[in-house]
Amino acid sequence: MTMLRAERVTLGYGGRPVVHDVSLDLTEGGVGLIGESGSGKTTLARAFLGLLKPMSGDIWYGERPLREADRRRFRKDVQPVFQAEALDPRMRIGASVAEGLPRHERGRVAELLEQVGLDPALAGRRPHQLSGGQRQRVVIARALAVGPRLLILDEPTSALDVTVQARILDLLAGLDAERLLITHNLAVVRRLCRTSYVLFAGRVVESGPTAELLARPAHPYTRALRDAVPRLGGPPPEASGRTEAVPAATGCPYRLRCPLAVAECERAPELREVADGRRAACHRAADVLG
Amino acid sequence: MIEVRELRVSYGGRVVADVPELDVGAGECVAIVGESGSGKSTTLLALLGLLPDAEVSGRVTVCGVDVLTAPPRRLRELRGARAALVIQSPQAALAPSTRLGVLMRRALRLHGREATDAAMAEAMRAVLLDPELLRRYPHEISGGQAQRFAIALAIALGAEVVLADEPTSALDVTVQAEVVAVLRGLLTERGLALLLVSHDLALVSTIADRVLVMKDGAVVESGPAATVLATPAHPYTRELLEALP
Repeated sequence: MTMLRAERVTLGYGGRPVVHDVSLDLTEGGVGLIGESGSGKTTLARAFLGLLKPMSGDIWYGERPLREADRRRFRKDVQPVFQAEALDPRMRIGASVAEGLPRHERGRVAELLEQVGLDPALAGRRPHQLSGGQRQRVVIARALAVGPRLLILDEPTSALDVTVQARILDLLAGLDAERLLITHNLAVVRRLCRTSYVLFAGRVVESGPTAELLARPAHPYTRALRDAVPRLGGPPPEASGRTEAVPAATGCPYRLRCPLAVAECERAPELREVADGRRAACHRAADVLG
Repeated sequence: MIEVRELRVSYGGRVVADVPELDVGAGECVAIVGESGSGKSTTLLALLGLLPDAEVSGRVTVCGVDVLTAPPRRLRELRGARAALVIQSPQAALAPSTRLGVLMRRALRLHGREATDAAMAEAMRAVLLDPELLRRYPHEISGGQAQRFAIALAIALGAEVVLADEPTSALDVTVQAEVVAVLRGLLTERGLALLLVSHDLALVSTIADRVLVMKDGAVVESGPAATVLATPAHPYTRELLEALP
């Protein structure tokens, strides 16, 4: 039984859905949510944190819906890690980290800072006196304070220099807590998540073990994402010239951008099993898998 | 098109960028790579004379203009038309209540160029944008479209040099690929000189002819991109390459 899962969840703002009918299990080994801006990945993360009520479907926390859950227990179990810009600029680092701790445990701040590789002497500083990488470590220390079983990470390294990013990834990979990672960076998902879900226009278009999904995509969108990432010394990534096409309102949402689209794609494809442990919502999945 | 010798930028005696030599010829792409605080963006701004509060010394020639000694009027001519600056998020710099077509027409007239519909449409098509977008307001286009519009402006104005500071870091990867394709087109089809500032070594390796690696204001390594990135000589370049996820 997984701690947190979404069952046929539709989410939106002001009655307008932006995430459609998503089912997702937070299994062990890290789960990645991959997608471009506007794909609905952050909206889904907000729902997993209980910050947004589903329009339909449910988020399950253990054996009951999240909306009926004991909030205090949930806050201890599940903690968000946002980008470092979310730190209160007026608060000292020590106070920021201590916020989540019960009064009698406030002495643990130094231990938490050490756990994320920071000098405990930094507790007296304010965020602007730290580097970007140090601030991101503070955000992680803060989340770890309550001893969560699951971390929900939204682009935890995207604002950082590569050498700093590498060290933060090492830190995250070594933590005991499970993780749901939201990112547009495939390399980060590959490093931290055993399972991945690819979102396009608020729909899961593909899911499966990360390594296989990236090595041999079953959905043309996953393939396009992977091939657009420049490789050191590789050829320039191919430009499709189609990224402007808006998601189709009917049928497969990707069909207006898809190089493989056929008449059949005017009928919405179901997310179905296309290989062992792999699911894709594409009429042409067999061709994409090759 | 760009020639830099012994460029040194400092604030209150503290050197923030020290570039002994940097040349970019027509049809060539040179990239400055480095992390935050390396001095890469400072170098780029110095080339356009855009650091009014800094002490700048050395010799900088862009399109034949001696940037460090030229009078303001000559610098304005250079910056507006012949040398174009492409920044990370151009959308914020586009007047929000002005349609793109009006913006482009004004820019062309300001620099004494003919602003015909045909010329404007041609510039849009050169960056793979539908000329219809000229009717839109800045908030009605995406980040990738705004970035390509900025490049279209440079083309319409007849720029000979493009200086691009992290032009794709705010974009999705699939959109980034399109902007990079457009930049490559500037090099190969129009023979522009491109100076690219980027933190992304993988991206740089796919477009740049030569690379300068900067750290803490100094150039630690430079040379042909293929050589520097395949067999880095400086430990910092190696560290950057090993850190690639």
